[in-house]
Amino acid sequence: MFNRQITQRIAFLLISLAAVLVILPIFAIIGYVVAEGIGAVSWEFLTAMPRNGMREGGLLPAIVGTLLLTLGTGMIAVPIGVGAAIYLAEYAGDNTLTRAIRIAIINLAGIPSVVYGLFGLGLFVIFLRFGTSILAGSLTLGIMTLPVIISTAEEALRAVPQEFRLVSVSLGGTRWQTIRRVVIPQALPGIITGIILGLERAAGETAPILFTVAAFFLPRLPSSILDQTMALPYHLFVISTQVPGMPVQIQYGTALVLLVFVLSMNVLATLIRRHYRKQRVW
Amino acid sequence: MQTKIRIENLTVRYSDGTESLRGISLELYANQINVLFGPSGGGKSTLLRTLNRLNDQADVVTQTGRVLLDDEDIMAPGYDVIRLRRRVGIVFARPVPLPMTIYQNITYGLELAGIRDRQRLDTAAERSLKQAALWDEVGNRLHDPAHALSGGQQQRLCLARSLALQPEVILLDEPTSGLDPISTGKVEQTLQDLKATYTIVIVPHSIQQAARVADWAAFFLQGELVECGPRDQMFTNPSDKRTDEYITGRFG
Repeated sequence: MFNRQITQRIAFLLISLAAVLVILPIFAIIGYVVAEGIGAVSWEFLTAMPRNGMREGGLLPAIVGTLLLTLGTGMIAVPIGVGAAIYLAEYAGDNTLTRAIRIAIINLAGIPSVVYGLFGLGLFVIFLRFGTSILAGSLTLGIMTLPVIISTAEEALRAVPQEFRLVSVSLGGTRWQTIRRVVIPQALPGIITGIILGLERAAGETAPILFTVAAFFLPRLPSSILDQTMALPYHLFVISTQVPGMPVQIQYGTALVLLVFVLSMNVLATLIRRHYRKQRVW
Repeated sequence: MQTKIRIENLTVRYSDGTESLRGISLELYANQINVLFGPSGGGKSTLLRTLNRLNDQADVVTQTGRVLLDDEDIMAPGYDVIRLRRRVGIVFARPVPLPMTIYQNITYGLELAGIRDRQRLDTAAERSLKQAALWDEVGNRLHDPAHALSGGQQQRLCLARSLALQPEVILLDEPTSGLDPISTGKVEQTLQDLKATYTIVIVPHSIQQAARVADWAAFFLQGELVECGPRDQMFTNPSDKRTDEYITGRFG
């Protein structure tokens, strides 16, 4: 009896510790990056071109580059991803084709990001002659983001009660009318959350843009989608490893800007989800 | 009496091998309350859902026989199912308001049919809510969310939603199973008023309800039609021993 209680106490202690260990690193990382980098962040840091081999000036081209890449990724991954999710959730039966699609999605999610980078280099940059460009980078990131968007959107669509579909069909609705007027509006918050989380990952990735779009040092804003651009993650890599005499504060300042960019997308996703969950009636 | 729907030798099998209906032949009459009753698992719901081809949505593997609506075979290949569902409305056991306002629920089917004219939609909403005896309760708050209504109101909303399409036949699948006696009474009274205009086919949730509302009744047992006839005959002097045992409560 006594032994069992001791065992219970120890087990409880260990699992509580594990839970606490989960929140520890996130606070540690954010705290450290803020402490080290906040001094570098200023209006000029956010809005000026880099100067003196990136040791001075600001991050503007990298911030704009990351914004454009995120936007481009969305323009590619959202229509294809949401479309595929609608097909899988609403139309597809269980057959060889859909099983193949599902296996493809799972495997797509498991491919290391650097392999996406190499693939993008081979297909988009060289074979399709897009060159090292925002277009090639967005396509590469877009493909990488697809599995996230497809699986979250499919899940959101499947969560809409089957009864709504039955009612709509019984009132003379076609399948597409039912999807467009009932299913998608109900699934939209979940779909949007998945899109944001997918784009957030894309915004922070370095390897896929390494060979396809990112410029080492390009102190001007891109003028077309066939231009190269600087981007925050790659810029962080460059100034942390490739530039001698780089002030540490600028490195952490850059990390902080990237972190805020990505985390604010995360917060946005959470807010959207919470806002709609309150309105949900099922 | 005019036959609205004629079912000829209908057999329905599901993909898991179960036979839901076996060789059913039955006539359903216009301007009557046609009751399909019997213990659960008898195939009554399946039969209802055959009448507006909602079984197309389910795992039905084979359907043989014919179902004639005004002498048109609704199971014929190429038959316009969408039009059929506008002519044959259905109300389910559990009220399922769509996640919209009361007004939008009513006009949903009309808008799907391409009707955009505000005046027509307004008129249809008022008419069908009055027919379903709900207008007095919700007429002044049509733009409230439908899920805020009580269970009984939601079910009458679902009835009104079907009526808005001005169907010819209304199918009701245990429409009062989740309702209190007062709401049940309102729904039953509504059906009595509606039969002047519509053909009503109802699966009642109890034998008492069957006896209360029926003009005509058909008794189903394990996928077979045991017998059918006018109410007085079915509930006082049935010809089949199994019907008699069921209505007197010896099984079921």
